[in-house]
Amino acid sequence: MKTFLNISLAAALFVGGVYLYADDDEMEHARPAYSKPLSKQDQASAALYKKECGACHMAYQAGFLPKRSWEKTMSGLGNHFGTDATMDSADTKMIQSYLMTYASTDNRITDVKGAVALRISQTPHFVKEHREITQKMLTQPEVKSIANCTACHTKADTGSYREREIHIPNYGRWE
Amino acid sequence: MKYLTILLIGSMSLMGASTEVVQYMNELSSVAKTENKSFAGFDAARGKEIFTSTHTGKQGKPMSCTSCHTTNLSNSGKNSLTGKVIEPLSPKANPQRLTSAKEVKKWLKRNFVDVYAREGTAQEKGDVLTYIIKN
Repeated sequence: MKTFLNISLAAALFVGGVYLYADDDEMEHARPAYSKPLSKQDQASAALYKKECGACHMAYQAGFLPKRSWEKTMSGLGNHFGTDATMDSADTKMIQSYLMTYASTDNRITDVKGAVALRISQTPHFVKEHREITQKMLTQPEVKSIANCTACHTKADTGSYREREIHIPNYGRWE
Repeated sequence: MKYLTILLIGSMSLMGASTEVVQYMNELSSVAKTENKSFAGFDAARGKEIFTSTHTGKQGKPMSCTSCHTTNLSNSGKNSLTGKVIEPLSPKANPQRLTSAKEVKKWLKRNFVDVYAREGTAQEKGDVLTYIIKN
């Protein structure tokens, strides 16, 4: 009986897992190489990226911008959206190489007519997904700007942007 | 010698900065001496003035260290651009502070540029660190 229960529990968990997975209608734009486990080196780089860039803002997933965008961002940290975000050259190199490895390769998501986008919020897939978001939602103090992913996407820092995880401050769930 | 080491480590932890940060402050002190003949040690009051006064920042707008860190170093602050919470600067409130010379150098460089639109001098950096340690 116990064995049977265990098996059915496992089956239920499995089916639940498949259901959850299938329910995820969002494009997996956060990290293209999701299925591949990160190498030791990449794990260290990812941790460094999160620590350094995440000190001021959410460490946006590399897959949100193409290589050329990350290259430009990382070579312009002396004036990073109006602030000095420089760090020592070893750390800069390590983070740049990590971002380039996991950068977007899908032009439909991130290409801005061949130009070098520095803002994720200007890329085509992002613009399309946020077309119904009003200025009022964005400028309220709890959000501040469209760059503040976690204000509404409650699991953005883990790379998850599912619709059911959205909660817009003072507006509620996105339905 | 052993007692001296213990005493030294003890007094440093009382100061609120790690050995490597104290070492960095000694380096700043030597540079300050060469740059300013009348330099007679770092001063928390000068550091407070540097920290709390308003200047035209990198973006051409009025800016102060307190714009993000607030005037109470034991409180957490908020990045004035992104809204991200900044843990308290005071080592008394946040034991992680002033433990890594690399971190200290990085932030002093960045934040002087953001608030003063230039890098800080060795004396200014030492004064600010002294103010932070004492608060």
